[in-house]
Amino acid sequence: MALRPNPLLAQLLAASAGLVSSAAVPAEPVAADRSISYRHGDYDEDALAQAPLDGSDRRYRVRTEQFRLLTPAGEGASLSVDLTHEVMSGSSPWFSVPDANGQPLQVMSGASIHDRRSELGVGYQRALAGDREFTVSASYSAEDDYHATAVGLEWSRPLSAAIELGLGASFSHDRIDPTDAAEFGRIAQATKNTWSASAGLSFILDRSSLLQAGLQLTRSSGFLSDPYKRFFAGDRVLNEARPDQRLQGSLLLRYRRALIERDAALHLDGRYSIDNWGVHSHTVEAHWYQTLAEDWRVIPGFRYYTQSESSFYAPFASVGELGRYYSSDYRLATGGGVSASLDLRRQFGAWDWVIGLERHRATDALGFGSGNDPGRVSYTQIQAGFDFRFD
Amino acid sequence: MSVEQSGAEIWRRDFVSMGCPCSIQIEVQARERAEAAFDAAIAELDRLERKYSHYRDDSLLAQWCAAAGSGEALEVDAESADLLDLASLLHEQSGGAFDISAGALARLWAGPRETLPNPAEIAQAMATGGWQHLIWQRPWLRLQQAGMRLDLGSLVKEYAADRAAAICREQGLLHGIVELGGDLSVIGPHANGAPWRAGVRHPRLPAALAAIELLEGGLATSGDYERGLLLDGKRYGHIVDPRTGWPVTGFASVSVLAPNCLVAGAAATLAMLLGVDAGAAYLRELGLPHLTVSADGRIGGTVAWVDPDPPRL
Repeated sequence: MALRPNPLLAQLLAASAGLVSSAAVPAEPVAADRSISYRHGDYDEDALAQAPLDGSDRRYRVRTEQFRLLTPAGEGASLSVDLTHEVMSGSSPWFSVPDANGQPLQVMSGASIHDRRSELGVGYQRALAGDREFTVSASYSAEDDYHATAVGLEWSRPLSAAIELGLGASFSHDRIDPTDAAEFGRIAQATKNTWSASAGLSFILDRSSLLQAGLQLTRSSGFLSDPYKRFFAGDRVLNEARPDQRLQGSLLLRYRRALIERDAALHLDGRYSIDNWGVHSHTVEAHWYQTLAEDWRVIPGFRYYTQSESSFYAPFASVGELGRYYSSDYRLATGGGVSASLDLRRQFGAWDWVIGLERHRATDALGFGSGNDPGRVSYTQIQAGFDFRFD
Repeated sequence: MSVEQSGAEIWRRDFVSMGCPCSIQIEVQARERAEAAFDAAIAELDRLERKYSHYRDDSLLAQWCAAAGSGEALEVDAESADLLDLASLLHEQSGGAFDISAGALARLWAGPRETLPNPAEIAQAMATGGWQHLIWQRPWLRLQQAGMRLDLGSLVKEYAADRAAAICREQGLLHGIVELGGDLSVIGPHANGAPWRAGVRHPRLPAALAAIELLEGGLATSGDYERGLLLDGKRYGHIVDPRTGWPVTGFASVSVLAPNCLVAGAAATLAMLLGVDAGAAYLRELGLPHLTVSADGRIGGTVAWVDPDPPRL
């Protein structure tokens, strides 16, 4: 309802706002609006805390351009198209060696990596009879040495007035053709397949809060090692070797609460994951959405992450210790981190401008004992962009 | 109470609440979801009726009134405090014409009766009211005049309609409309995005005065025809000016369309109280779409939502 703003009406609406507000937890209907979104992202990893033994200390930097088009596609249906282009540069941890005290020293990849990745994703969401809803999606991602094709299906239906069931399944087929394979004795070509299934329940708790609980199972098989990671074993440097199967289970909890009087909302997210490689991890996230005057929104956030190391992780090994599988990838090591973020949004008519900053700091693991992998990463991420809705 | 299915997927329940015929319509495939929402919305209406009825001795309102004149300050819950804040604002915006402390007066005129109250009865009812005897400093309420009766009737029905609509939305039902005795609160437009059509009845004729299309918000009508007394061809409505002790006479009805039913009802009641000239000026200043019928049958207001050919007296 377009109303001429005037103090008398503003007073009345303000006085009624505490009593009648439509700011209760909104059910998310199939979007019927046509909109485009653009985001520019800049992800920049800190240099290593300790200078590497060899290689560049300039770590990864990824600049991302993302476009999204969302458009109605017939009665109760919408279509989304996502285009992503990334430019990656910098070097990454290669392997680590023991120093005089037996502590690991990082060796970085020698040459700086320059790579580009492009991805096209398409999604189709449709409302069905009985408030059921399904989404099908497909994506293709290509870079010099990596190609990934994925398809997904999601379906939801209400079980009662306050409970909704959601089910999902996805499959991805990835092909890797490592560069300089012959020179470094890397595998010439390999593939991996990933299946994932999920189930979740959403509970409307009261007029302003919502709880979602979900389970996800993921099974990966094929070549699961990183062909660019090496492993130091006494007198030899080997290509790392991981099992060719991984089974992962996750429990997710999401809580949403609208604080109508404060014109704010609280989002809490928790995730616990466990896999048959021996890695278990916790993530806890909190975001506060605060609406300020003049269509400003400020969103401070906090994330805490911690994980235990996989059963075959070691920074290095002696020949005698070498098992069937071994990796010194910091992503399989005990470790953790905390992130703080701040997003700012401003709406101008049909335009919604967004700018955000996130700072992540790797820490010795909190909760799962201490880790000391020298490759653990702290980073800064900046994101800026806009959403535009067509009338 | 009856439940019937009207149209392909529109479920409807008719019932009586707050002394009025009411209905809720919900457009959804699964009947059990609509039924669950009807039950939850009606439970909310029952709660509000129990809390704010001025006909019930066990209502919260009755408890407050029982403490009137005792000097006791009552600590008021947040919902009631919001209603009292709104009532204070309306008192201010109306220059004193809107006055919830005049409950005894409202009761005197609304009660079933066949003769006019005599001047002594009116004077006695007026003596128990008076905004200056109602001390409201959130969350503390003090009713200083013994016998004072608060009347939130002009806010609670519209508020209840909005709450019933909100309950439905909270259950994920986004298409429907709530009607409480002619006041409407939209849950959301039809599933295909089309507006709900509602009729505003003519205060004097058994016919619709206008057909309104509602996508959102609320529509409320305040009129002298709902309850009241017809004596010697003169109509005495239930909306009483606390400053004179007599029912207002300027408008026969005022309908207002607003972002919610509560504001629509408050604006309509204020315009009724202010009378034809000041009431129309208030509605114009508010900028809300409205339709008025004066006691002498003249139709006024913003014409955009009036049927091109309304019935004439």
